Amino acid sequence: MQQSTDPLSVTLSALADPTRRAILARLASGEASVKELAEPFAMSGPAISKHLKVLERAGLITRGRNAQWRPCRLEAGPLRDVADLVERYRRFWDESFDRLDAYLADVQRKQKESEG
Amino acid sequence: MTTESTATGTAAAPSDTADREVVTTRVFDAPRELVFDAFTDSAHVSGWWGPRGFTTTTHEMDVRPGGVWRHIMHGPDGTDYPNYIVYREVVRPERLSWAHGTAPGEPASFDATVTFEDEGGRTRVTLRSVFPTAAARDYVVREHGAIEGARDTLERLAEHLASPG
Repeated sequence: MQQSTDPLSVTLSALADPTRRAILARLASGEASVKELAEPFAMSGPAISKHLKVLERAGLITRGRNAQWRPCRLEAGPLRDVADLVERYRRFWDESFDRLDAYLADVQRKQKESEG
Repeated sequence: MTTESTATGTAAAPSDTADREVVTTRVFDAPRELVFDAFTDSAHVSGWWGPRGFTTTTHEMDVRPGGVWRHIMHGPDGTDYPNYIVYREVVRPERLSWAHGTAPGEPASFDATVTFEDEGGRTRVTLRSVFPTAAARDYVVREHGAIEGARDTLERLAEHLASPG
């Protein structure tokens, strides 16, 4: 995936990693500390922290402000943006095809008239 | 006439991107050459391109591999949407593909491939848009149902996208 600063691309590349998706899936059931997140993945704290930074940059998680225990929380907004994009695109083609249907009928009718 | 937006192509051959595409297909009552030209001739394309209420201004349209179609779509509310399409394959009247972005140098949001099949004088158009990453799609469809407030979104997304296998 190309490096990019547009928010959607940042979201998509953050989601492209299976560990990060698993972290988000865990956070879907409630907030968790870095330690709690590291346990099931058999990964070191620093390795998990690296993933959390990517997720945080993409706006997919937020971290609590308490210095001792900064719980991670899932943020669904960017995911919604992905879903909205796909839906807009699908609607674009549905409606364009409606218009194309009418347009083709019109063009052919005019052709017939000019031949007629 | 209905448009089928499907999971892994029903009428279409499976492809290695099947798990991350949105497929739209429809049969038009017109010969294949005319339908192909409707996609590739700037005079034609402004007659139908875009959702209801949109108009299109073309600044440049060079339909050949590597060529560019730079156009602005004007929404019904007056918003302008710049578009920058780079053609990949141009095989009249069978096949057309492009990368669809907003500006030169920006990564494309979607890759689209359109096939035109003759069905006894009518034309079946199948448009495949490849979603940027399968992982993202899998994630939002499969693993995200538990998030409060996101459920509707995910259901919508699942409707639009293929489910694997």
